Amino acid sequence: MTDTFLLVGLPYVAIGVMLVGTLYRFRRREYGVSALSSQMLEDRALVFGTIPWHLGIVTLLVGHLVPFLMPGVWRALVSHRVFLLSVEAVGLSAAMLAALGLGVLMVRRALASRLQSVTSVMDQVILALLLAQVVLGMLVATNFRWGSSWASGTLWPYVWGLLTLRPNPGLVAEMPAVIKLHVVGAWIIALCIPFSRLVHAFSVPIQYLTRAPQRVIWTTERRLRSLQEQAGGEDPMEARRHVLHGVSALAGASALLSLGVLDKFARFFRGDSMSADQRERLMERKLERVRETETERALEVERMKRDLIPVGRLTELKAKNGLYFIDYQMRPALAFLGEGGLPLLISAKCTHLGCTVASDVDDQGRILCPCHMSYFDVRSGEPSEGAPAKAPLAHLGWVIREGETVVASQLPGGAVEGTIDPTRAESYEVCIARKHTEGRA
Amino acid sequence: MSPEDTSIGRAVRFLSDRFPVDKLSFAALVGKKEVPVHKMSWAYYLGGLVLFFFGIQLTTGLLLLFYYQPSVSDAHASVDYLTHDVAGGALIRNLHAWSCSAMILTLLVHLLTTFAMKGFAKPREVTWLSGVALLIITFAFGFTGYLLPWHQIAVNATKIGLQSIEQVGQYLPGALATLPTRLREAIQGEPSVGQATLSRFFAIHVVVLPLFTMAVLGLHLLSVQIHGMSQGVDRPADKTERFFPFFVLKDLSLWGVVFFILATIALCVPFESFFSFPLFEPYDPLGSTPDGIKPEWYFYFVYYPLEMLPFWLVNLVMAGAVFVLAAAPRIFRGTGRQTLRTLAAGAAAYLIVMTLFGHRIYAMVKGGH
Repeated sequence: MTDTFLLVGLPYVAIGVMLVGTLYRFRRREYGVSALSSQMLEDRALVFGTIPWHLGIVTLLVGHLVPFLMPGVWRALVSHRVFLLSVEAVGLSAAMLAALGLGVLMVRRALASRLQSVTSVMDQVILALLLAQVVLGMLVATNFRWGSSWASGTLWPYVWGLLTLRPNPGLVAEMPAVIKLHVVGAWIIALCIPFSRLVHAFSVPIQYLTRAPQRVIWTTERRLRSLQEQAGGEDPMEARRHVLHGVSALAGASALLSLGVLDKFARFFRGDSMSADQRERLMERKLERVRETETERALEVERMKRDLIPVGRLTELKAKNGLYFIDYQMRPALAFLGEGGLPLLISAKCTHLGCTVASDVDDQGRILCPCHMSYFDVRSGEPSEGAPAKAPLAHLGWVIREGETVVASQLPGGAVEGTIDPTRAESYEVCIARKHTEGRA
Repeated sequence: MSPEDTSIGRAVRFLSDRFPVDKLSFAALVGKKEVPVHKMSWAYYLGGLVLFFFGIQLTTGLLLLFYYQPSVSDAHASVDYLTHDVAGGALIRNLHAWSCSAMILTLLVHLLTTFAMKGFAKPREVTWLSGVALLIITFAFGFTGYLLPWHQIAVNATKIGLQSIEQVGQYLPGALATLPTRLREAIQGEPSVGQATLSRFFAIHVVVLPLFTMAVLGLHLLSVQIHGMSQGVDRPADKTERFFPFFVLKDLSLWGVVFFILATIALCVPFESFFSFPLFEPYDPLGSTPDGIKPEWYFYFVYYPLEMLPFWLVNLVMAGAVFVLAAAPRIFRGTGRQTLRTLAAGAAAYLIVMTLFGHRIYAMVKGGH
């Protein structure tokens, strides 16, 4: 019975009284449709009260109205986690802003003696009602999470039912008391509209946003001149508007920036969110890199310690495709199979700008440096005509050993010492020798 | 002879013109500064824009430092981890890369417009010279920073860049001929590019150059504020606008717009997308150099000529260009702004053509590969 009255009777009474009363006021007492501004009496605290309050409440009203007008679109939107979280966060912030503004307004009414003479009982009731409604809304939002999602399936169908004269209080009657109070509060406020300053909500003064600012001031020529000077020769009112624009734009931009940028920074500091699998793969990759470095370091140490460094088995060498190795100076070099089954060792560091030459031999017996297209003849080392490289690639000396015995060797450009037995090529190892590098840079 | 005509008197006057210490007050530096309004006024925003990009480089660079590990075995892996696993890491790195390009582009336009507006004329020689120093420092930033990720293109491009120092040797007589090689090895810290080079480039990029920048930038900004903006056009502008707050506010709003654009690009376009993937594999000292090794685009204006023309010629021209930049206040003392504008336009045309069409010209000259 009580539910039926609060959720069906009261709304119809409220809507009816609101419509009739507001229309009456607009028709009969046009000049009474006013917010009853008290800015003339007190304007310092007002700024910190009325601006947060209106910013907050307008945001909240829009947030309550959109799901009602476009339930399908809204449900699609709030099914996205990010959108839902954003809407809830914006809503809660707007509510806090509104509550803060109301608080300032109440304190202002209580403290400024000039205001008390113009404050009616209705003003006080309205302030209290609004504050209660905002607080109730915040309680709903925090205790019964994701209202922007569930309300579109429960509360708005209830309101829609009222408007289409098919009231269905059952949707709301079963809800927790806080939510019911919030709904009932809304109807009571609607009921109060025609009897209070709240009626100004229907006279949306949109042109105020764009019209030139008007301000009643007691002024003198001297005051105007000094204001003009302060503003750098601009019209003081214009300048003020520019400054307001600038400051609000800056504040907005900074807020956005700090939201967007600090969020990235914070996450950046927190680091990764990897699964155990990913972490394992990462550590494997890192280990792989450390192993490669180890190989390289080992090569260096080997070149410091040993007089002979193996390049590969003689049978591994091919005429058309070189085998990369590292010479005593840690520079890349290539090993080919040359004439008479003997090794042909040539530097792979391009004499132009030091790129590493590719290992494939083309039809004309040349290897290519990919950086600037210098072709080098493998047998002579000479660069081709017109190549950026001018100096030939140097040949390296080699030593062939079988086990620990040296079978044959050749100094760069020198004659071959010793002979090899092709049938035993399997056990021959091609090496570079430290003694061949002595005296070379 | 009056005391002003002695050499000491002249020296004192020279110094007091360039460093008017009596102007070192907030009112003179900020309060009274006026910015001329004329058709070239947009160029007054460029320096501030470079400063803004430098700020981004500083911030993102600092953030990258938290994850980067400057060793040959870990550098690539740490950059890889930062890019693929750390939340926001790809964005921060991308911002650093894009903002670097944007900074150098803006810096070049700043240089050319300042030249065209005769911003180097007395008493702004110090401003101009410190600006030229900042230009060189910025290119050094670019060159040293390129090596740090230790992927194929980074190490190979650095090797080539350093090797060109050695090329100077062929033009030097006798024992001097090995000097460039020794210089290169001194810079590298070892015979070939390796751990020592990485450590050095890291230290230079992260500590040395920022310190130099702070000092030179301080001097640059102080001189800009002391002497104000140059008039910029031959006939002094009829209108000026106050630096504070009007110009500063416009500056800030431009920064805001530019940040928005930069962040959008950094979010949507990875700078690596302009290269083929194998170039971003870890550097392999034992394999061959991959195709497509190139310096960053802002070195094209000297890279392509080096590929096409004799080495000594390019170096001579570049040395000449640096000399002309450094000596501009003296050389162009009496030149009108119309002529300067033509010169700057010519230089701009060269830079644009070489940067955008360098590879096509190269292919034409070399018969295409």
